[in-house]
Amino acid sequence: MLATVASATLVGVDGYPVAVEVHVANGLPGFRVVGLPDASCREARDRARAAVVSSGFRWPQRRVTVNLAPSGLRKGGPGLDLPIALGVLAADGQLEPELLRGRAFVGELGLDGTLRPVAGTLPLVAAVAEPEVVVPASSLGEARLVRREGLRGAARLRSLVEALQGRAAWPEVPAAGPQDQPAVADLADVRGQPLARRALEVAAAGAHHLLLVGPAGAGKTMLATRLPGLLPDLTPTEAIEVARIHSAAGLELPGGALSLRPPFRAPHHGASAVALIGGGGARLRPGEVSCAHRGVLFLDELAEFAPHVLDHLRQPLEEGRVVVCRAAAAVAFPARFLLVAAMNACRCGSDGSPGSCRCSEPARERYRARVSGPLLDRFDLRVRVSQPDVGALLAAPGGPARAPGRPGPSPKAPGTPADQGEEPTSVVAARVARARWRARERGLRCSSELPASQLDELAPLSPGARRLLERRLREGLLSARGLHRAWRVALTVADLAGHDGPLSEEHVLLSLALRGEGIADDGSARSSSRDDAQSLAVASWVS
Amino acid sequence: MGELALPPGAYAAALASLPGAGPAWLARVFLDGGTPRSPEQAWQDVVSGRLPPPGAGAARPPQLPLGLACPGAAGRAVAGSGGAQGGLGTCTPERLWQYCQSRRIRATWIGGPGYPARLAEGPAPPGVLFWVGDIGLLERPCVAVVGTRRCTPDGQQVAYQLGRELSAAGACVVSGLAAGIDGAAHAGALAAACELGPEAGATVGIAASGVDVAYPPRHRLLWEEVTRKGAVISEAPPGRPAQSWRFPSRNRVIAGLARLVVVVESHAKGGSWHTVEAALARGVEVAAVPGSVLSPASVGTNLLIKEGALAVASAQDVLDALGLPARPGPCSPPGPAAEGAAAGSGGGTAWGPVHRSVLGALGRRPRTVDEIVERSGLPLGAVLVALDDLEQRGAALGRAGWWALGTFPGSPVA
Repeated sequence: MLATVASATLVGVDGYPVAVEVHVANGLPGFRVVGLPDASCREARDRARAAVVSSGFRWPQRRVTVNLAPSGLRKGGPGLDLPIALGVLAADGQLEPELLRGRAFVGELGLDGTLRPVAGTLPLVAAVAEPEVVVPASSLGEARLVRREGLRGAARLRSLVEALQGRAAWPEVPAAGPQDQPAVADLADVRGQPLARRALEVAAAGAHHLLLVGPAGAGKTMLATRLPGLLPDLTPTEAIEVARIHSAAGLELPGGALSLRPPFRAPHHGASAVALIGGGGARLRPGEVSCAHRGVLFLDELAEFAPHVLDHLRQPLEEGRVVVCRAAAAVAFPARFLLVAAMNACRCGSDGSPGSCRCSEPARERYRARVSGPLLDRFDLRVRVSQPDVGALLAAPGGPARAPGRPGPSPKAPGTPADQGEEPTSVVAARVARARWRARERGLRCSSELPASQLDELAPLSPGARRLLERRLREGLLSARGLHRAWRVALTVADLAGHDGPLSEEHVLLSLALRGEGIADDGSARSSSRDDAQSLAVASWVS
Repeated sequence: MGELALPPGAYAAALASLPGAGPAWLARVFLDGGTPRSPEQAWQDVVSGRLPPPGAGAARPPQLPLGLACPGAAGRAVAGSGGAQGGLGTCTPERLWQYCQSRRIRATWIGGPGYPARLAEGPAPPGVLFWVGDIGLLERPCVAVVGTRRCTPDGQQVAYQLGRELSAAGACVVSGLAAGIDGAAHAGALAAACELGPEAGATVGIAASGVDVAYPPRHRLLWEEVTRKGAVISEAPPGRPAQSWRFPSRNRVIAGLARLVVVVESHAKGGSWHTVEAALARGVEVAAVPGSVLSPASVGTNLLIKEGALAVASAQDVLDALGLPARPGPCSPPGPAAEGAAAGSGGGTAWGPVHRSVLGALGRRPRTVDEIVERSGLPLGAVLVALDDLEQRGAALGRAGWWALGTFPGSPVA
């Protein structure tokens, strides 16, 4: 007898419908799965058999053939366990085949017949066209994100069959309550470091990639983890997009409601290229860059990543997606993320101030060379993070940040920013939202996307600001490429300040300080300024 | 044949470019038999077999015709090491001389015009010298500033300041154009040339590769600057890449040219020791910069001092040893001048309260903007505007996110 069960399989972040055809015929007892199953899919036969038997059904002592159609598509993952088991039951006559019609099934089987959730439930459920989908009960919350009607959950194979046959009720689907967003760390916890705080704010507002350079313990990680809280919430469409990727990657979704918080991913520096970019396995799992889609990718100890792994980041940084090509398939993963990286100034871990480092020159050269120039160039913001001031560390939250008995600086005048305690995330996030809104008025998502050709028109410079940039270019302290990047950052700075009209000197100075020309690349702009091409570019702009 | 129309330097160049021609053979060619030969005579003798060709000895009979290693017709340096089979037999003294002239490369020989007198007097003089630039600078009192390639930033800074101040005082800074200390010394001298004009800033680089082959490659810009403002000298024929045996040989030339050899940093072993030994063999005084006993890069220099080398800590010490007067100028060590500018007297400018506050937060030790904001208690924007103002008027300097009073103690080495 023949039975066909609808299901779906996952390639990349997309589900594809699969028809599971089960044929039970006379012959030597045996069990075969054909149709390009991968290893975990081939194992389905052992799980299905045990689950069928332990659920109180009979395993046919006949020849069982399972075909996964379309046979050209490689199937991976254990999500086909359930349709295979049901197909066997139907083909063997223990279950009426009509009951399976118009329904799709996704789920992994335990040997005792329990249904287990599978990675990618969300895109799998989205892919099936049948009016009703049955998923493991624990995946219902996830499935509900993309489908409201015709969702059924089941906890065990036995109860599922009984529900299909109408002998028992479908398990009650608990309504999803409003999910508490996980709390994120607050910016108010960060003491001092005005420039680094400003860099975070500008990075969030303009989607400028950020590099933090400083010694261990200076608070680079602490700063980076504050960033998701500053970013605006995801739109529902973006949130679904993110949830799909996370589901396909097998990450746990906060059950029930959609998380509107931008994701934050911080892979360890031992990450391989495949882990970072995606690929691997028959179903081509999305990598960390895709899991950080619409959120923050934080690479701590940037220089400890293998250089070739880092260079894979160039395509996603440029195009906002990454294409993984394998023999089985070529898959495009979305990967539009805000890159935040942290590194030491050199291997000895000094604060990088001139003369403080005890590394030899070749050693410093080697350390710098671990991050390639093109990648370094993607960072619009490069900020030195130094050990916070002792007084700022010990100051009570909200109290004045001042070192007791420190000689030198005069007592701060009331009204200076440091006296009001550190700004909490909510205040900064409001400014970020306003800046993003101003960018949207220009028809952009954020100011880092402003093309160079429109800078003059949409971000005019005041005469003073222009003179300032000219001077920096002439002195070789700013490269021609750095000019446009600094200009965009200045626009973000002005947006954050709610400033209208031409960009002022202060905006440009702040952007240059944030741009940190010479940080982590040892002043390459300075030496390259002697190059003819550079001089020409500078001359053409300055004239 | 147009051979006789060539100047003697062309034959000297041709002799030096013969495969296997080393310093010892060249010296023999010119001086063998008591009476010095002219380059033409020497070339004719070698070509005709009256003199043994380079590399010939009892074990290896002379081979004729002689192949001249060609620096490459297309103007690109051809690897001439180990025989240069590709270019053999295709090059002539004329073509070699054309190549040299197109690159402004000059050549001289022992006893020839422009040959440094100090070298000729010493042991093992180079037979032929190639150079680009102004070799007349060697008539100034020459100070060799040498040291390890694996130097510390402090060593680099010392070498930079020695190069800058010695050349400003009228000395010629001789070094090896290598990475590390050598490069910093040259860069210092070039900086003096920028600040004080061509009279100051004399520097001569002695190369182990051909004078038109920058080694290490990342010193290409430095190399060009030294060529333009000083001179680059080499025993190696044009187009020849650096070969390891040439480095000790190069160091002997450095020692032979200098009146004083200053070792800034040296490991327990290293090329600087060749220079020191060559200097001692020539009776050239050796000085060393003392360093921390914990720093591996100062083991060699501290050992030198223990064994009697002169300890120098500043350009003034070196000038005293040479008996030269210091020339006070803008190159005097930063300190009082910068502090004066910081105090408000710089350019007659009276700083406003914000500027004064930022100046108070700055120090000689470089600080980040964050530190300055915290120390001054001013808003970030105001601090940045004030810093830019101060930098423009020379009271502060910012590099790569660090700010300090006056001149920057970092090393702006190319």
